[in-house]
Amino acid sequence: AADDASLAKMIKTGSRLTTTLPPDTIDIIRTKTHSRRVRLNVGGLLHEVLWRTLDRLPRTRLGKLRDCNTHESIMEICDDYSLDNNEYFFDRHPGAFTSILNFYRTGKLHMMEEMCALSFSQELDFWGIDEIYLESCCQARYHQKKEQMNEELKREAENMREREGEEFTTTCCSEKRKKLWDLLEKPSSSFAAKILAIISILFIVLSTIALSLNTLPELQDTDEFGQPTDNPQLAHVEAVCIAWFTMEYLLRFLSSPNKWKFFKGPLNIIDLLAILPYYVTIFLTESNKSVLQFQNVRRVVQIFRIMRILRILKLARHSTGLQSLGFTLRRSYNELGLLILFLAMGIMIFSSLVFFAEKDEEDTKFKSIPASFWWATITMTTVGYGDIYPKTLLGKIVGGLCCIAGVLVIALPIPIIVNNFSEFYKEQKRQEKAIKRREALERAKRNGSIVSMNIKDAFGRSVELMDVMVEKTDERKEKLHDNHVSPHRGTPRIKSPLNPSSPSKTAESSFQEKEKPASSPQHLSAQKLEEIYNNMTKAQSQSNFNSKEKASHSKSARQKAEFEMGSILPEAVTGTAEGVTDMKSISSIDSFISCGPDFPESSRFSHSSGSNMPGRVSTNPSLEPTLENEHEGSHGATSPQSDKSTKLKNDSPRAPSLNNPMKGRSLKVRVRGGEDSGKGGLSDSSSIQTPETSVYTTASSRTPSKSPENLRPSIFTFHDSSVSKFIDADTDEEEHLHDSSTANVTQRLLERPSPRFAQLSGFQQGPNHMEGLAKKLGNSTLPLEGQENHISPELRPLQGEKRQYNS
Amino acid sequence: MWAVPKPKYRNALSEEGDITVNIGGVRVVLFGDDLKRYPESRLAELSNCSAHNPELISTLCDDFDPGRNEFYFDRDPDSFKCIIDVYYFDEIHIKSGICPICFIKEMEFWKIDQSVLDECCKSYLSEKEEELKEIANKVKAILEDLDVDQCITRTQRCQKYLWRLMEKPDSSLAARIIAIASFLSILVSAVVMCVSTIPELQVKNAEGKLVEHPTMEAIETVCMLWFTTEFVLRLASSPNKVRFALSIMNIIDFMAIMPFYVVLSLTLLGTTSMMELVNVQQAVQALRIMRIARIFKLARHSSGLQTLTYALKRSLKELGLLLMYMGVGIFVFSALAYTMEQSHPETLFRSIPQSFWWAIITMTTVGYGDIYPKTTLGKCNAAVSFLCGVIAIALPIHPIINNFVVFYNKQKVLETAAKHEVELMELKSGGQAHTKQIVEKEKCHCIVRTTQQRTAAWH
Repeated sequence: AADDASLAKMIKTGSRLTTTLPPDTIDIIRTKTHSRRVRLNVGGLLHEVLWRTLDRLPRTRLGKLRDCNTHESIMEICDDYSLDNNEYFFDRHPGAFTSILNFYRTGKLHMMEEMCALSFSQELDFWGIDEIYLESCCQARYHQKKEQMNEELKREAENMREREGEEFTTTCCSEKRKKLWDLLEKPSSSFAAKILAIISILFIVLSTIALSLNTLPELQDTDEFGQPTDNPQLAHVEAVCIAWFTMEYLLRFLSSPNKWKFFKGPLNIIDLLAILPYYVTIFLTESNKSVLQFQNVRRVVQIFRIMRILRILKLARHSTGLQSLGFTLRRSYNELGLLILFLAMGIMIFSSLVFFAEKDEEDTKFKSIPASFWWATITMTTVGYGDIYPKTLLGKIVGGLCCIAGVLVIALPIPIIVNNFSEFYKEQKRQEKAIKRREALERAKRNGSIVSMNIKDAFGRSVELMDVMVEKTDERKEKLHDNHVSPHRGTPRIKSPLNPSSPSKTAESSFQEKEKPASSPQHLSAQKLEEIYNNMTKAQSQSNFNSKEKASHSKSARQKAEFEMGSILPEAVTGTAEGVTDMKSISSIDSFISCGPDFPESSRFSHSSGSNMPGRVSTNPSLEPTLENEHEGSHGATSPQSDKSTKLKNDSPRAPSLNNPMKGRSLKVRVRGGEDSGKGGLSDSSSIQTPETSVYTTASSRTPSKSPENLRPSIFTFHDSSVSKFIDADTDEEEHLHDSSTANVTQRLLERPSPRFAQLSGFQQGPNHMEGLAKKLGNSTLPLEGQENHISPELRPLQGEKRQYNS
Repeated sequence: MWAVPKPKYRNALSEEGDITVNIGGVRVVLFGDDLKRYPESRLAELSNCSAHNPELISTLCDDFDPGRNEFYFDRDPDSFKCIIDVYYFDEIHIKSGICPICFIKEMEFWKIDQSVLDECCKSYLSEKEEELKEIANKVKAILEDLDVDQCITRTQRCQKYLWRLMEKPDSSLAARIIAIASFLSILVSAVVMCVSTIPELQVKNAEGKLVEHPTMEAIETVCMLWFTTEFVLRLASSPNKVRFALSIMNIIDFMAIMPFYVVLSLTLLGTTSMMELVNVQQAVQALRIMRIARIFKLARHSSGLQTLTYALKRSLKELGLLLMYMGVGIFVFSALAYTMEQSHPETLFRSIPQSFWWAIITMTTVGYGDIYPKTTLGKCNAAVSFLCGVIAIALPIHPIINNFVVFYNKQKVLETAAKHEVELMELKSGGQAHTKQIVEKEKCHCIVRTTQQRTAAWH
């Protein structure tokens, strides 16, 4: 048994290490049931955990790992795995995984202190855990960080969109417009643009200086009404400045890619407001020269004059600091509101207090509470003009408290605003750098120094490469074998790297040699088979196992075998009849499944032939297990999670071991029953089959489907390993008790139908039954047909045999 | 206190009690002697019980490999690495990056007392625990709001409904309207209080004295009635009267209402029983000032103000420090200024208490200009005093501001955390039901599968 296990292990490692063929479903189930623990390798860090722990969250990635029994589904979940080490590899961040695994263990999801929230959330997404499970002690930090990051990302995305939105393809002379736009909007784009920006700043400064100089009484002129008006020189300066601004604005507007967006932009609104007052004043003064309501016009003009001050805000376009100030104020209106609220409350309280304190003083200035608001404001902001101040002792105490409270109250919300400002300022600085970096990256991309890597593509490419390599090695081996082993058959990939299961060269050759007798039993030599058998027992302990079982009943079984043959052959004929016609339509998957079980059959067959039985007869008992194994194989492939397959399988070696004289027949009957059930039961299981057997698709797709005859041997060897694992699993199963009970049940059951079939074993009834069976087979669904077909290749040689027998 | 580490070259594993443990994939060999220093701990128990007692072993560890004589624990290896230190150094430090709450859970699993945790890590732990407690309180409040159905009697249900109407503006539209109305009435009453003191808007009464305008008084009365009804309804609907009475917000409410009724009763008494009218008027004047308390009622509607009060409450020490600095500064500089200004004939500093006022105004950089030094020495003193004042104010103010900012940020975070906690609890309770369903489903599946197997076997 130890030998057995070691061999199975070797097979597993081999099949995994070479990565040529995925391990069988049953292996995966077996390793999973075998150990309570599992090793998880996440980015190089090894973790060991109980399967039970992972089951606590069945819908997460790790929870699903438990339920995965096929190679494909496991590969979907993890990046690599080794059944031998019971280890699953995930190519993820190891730091985050520690806390995630602890979530399985303790039910509490905590976050590593130094983890970036964004990457942690990505990890959570990967492992399929909702972030809502995060414990409240870490939740706060996580959400704060995540919100921050999301905001940043959003802003960046917006910037990107903005940049991408600047496309000039819509109208004519887009090239020139783009140049103009760059010239006016992006001072860093060229030297000329920089100069333009500087000129623009100078104009702004000049116009504001002119504006303030205009109000100096020494520089003012008096008009016909005795009112002071603008200095003519300064008016000229003003006109020139306004002309420049207007031109700038118009050019910007014309060159802008999106007119409405341009119009809406806050900086452009400021520009417009800086220009408009001038034109409005001109319009008003020109049109209302003769109108009587001169005073009203003057007042309006004065208001528009004040609006000229807005031009100082035009500087914001040239200063990121001013822009971030604006943004900060917009963002921290909450804190500003708080500041104002605090101040208002303080003013209210202290002004009313000081009012009650100073009320009775003679010629006090605190005449009412609203009048003392002014004092409270000036005191709280620590300006202190001194126009109003308390005189009584009580008032002075209130005043002192007011000072201290004012300092406190104003100081409190300001750090929050400052924080906002500094954050935004930093962010803007960072963005400027990021833009430069991105430009550099784009340049590099254009030059081809950086290739964007799509992980999936890369992975796909590597897999393709691997396939090619495998195929190449296959071909090489093929040639090798062609040369020296079986030239007439061209059995190509008998050994191949696909199958490291047979450890020695001798075993290899034995397979090939055995191949020949299986396909052409007529040329069978008992002596040769004996040799092969000996080789096999040495090489594969699995056949050892079989032989042991067989040996116990071989004598009686073999006697019966001859007698059975009659009843089996009709079946074989029907199989052939169906099979020959549909031979071409066999899909590679089906043929794969069908061909697989040949091997154990032949091993048994070789054994039975070893006991000096005529080859002709000995093939027949071997046929029995073929059918049996056929079903087993398909079961194993179709419903891996159900123990059905193992049960059936358990039956197969066990049933022959019964030293019942009737056994031979009953076995055969059972097989037929199995076939019947296959008609009914397999049709639905075969519908499941397709996705699950995709494992085989990959394997079989590599093999060229020239003809099923050629194909057979190659898969042969592969399946043999899996079958050996099957049997391996049987022996390891703790279900021995259960096994025997089921065996008993089957025995009893078999005894019941056997009389019915006993008559069928007669030659006369044979054809009738055969017809019925043929009909049944004909009616069966397509996948089943395929299955029937698989029987046929093996049965074909028997056709001749049957003929012999009949004659 | 420092245990000498055992020489590692001694014949390991031969000695009784040495065990090999595998913690989540990390394999460690532990010496029995070390483990026995903490006989209560899980590992010590494990080393004591021999391999012949599988039941005990299975209760202590998750898996046992008899071949390698290895005990497997399905726990966090990182935390274990810290915890194992206790056997060698008698103290535990939490590795940075591990959540302390999580770490405590691990310590409980290994049955190691929390007292071995070193002081430096304890403060960190307590900080986290405090935060958790706050969240738990919030969660409790939320949960209390959520379950209404527990009330049996109708009056209780009415009480509950009323309570939610008055106290939780987010619960319903009506509650929101009431909150807004209350807020507006506070504003109106505050404005009226201020405006009514303007002499132009006052009217003369029979004795020729200026009194408040009748319309102002009417508005004031309406507002006070509103406040009173609000207060009474709150009091009536509160589930816990003692807690209600002790709450600061309610005390403020009471202070805002009380003066009105006291004034009313006093004037009635003054007119009827012919008490000394002057005394009554003085009392009324004093109580008038208390009207200002109504402004604090705004705190109920502003989380920022609540944060401010909370921060001030938390930083009482710093406030005391601020006042002490100011007091010392005022005393020193006013005394200095007084002595230095004595030389000037027309000095404005007539006494030290009088120059206190100057010192305050200078140190807080207000500078009204009603009192100012005239001598050169006095001017120098003034310059030094406001420099010192700026420093004296700025130093203790920083922690206060810090407290405020921390609470301000934390309040937002706590709110979301509490909400999440509630969601999590719901999810977990729902999740349990869900897993149960799954288990049941699986069971059904198993049954189906076994029957299928059986039928297959029969065929």
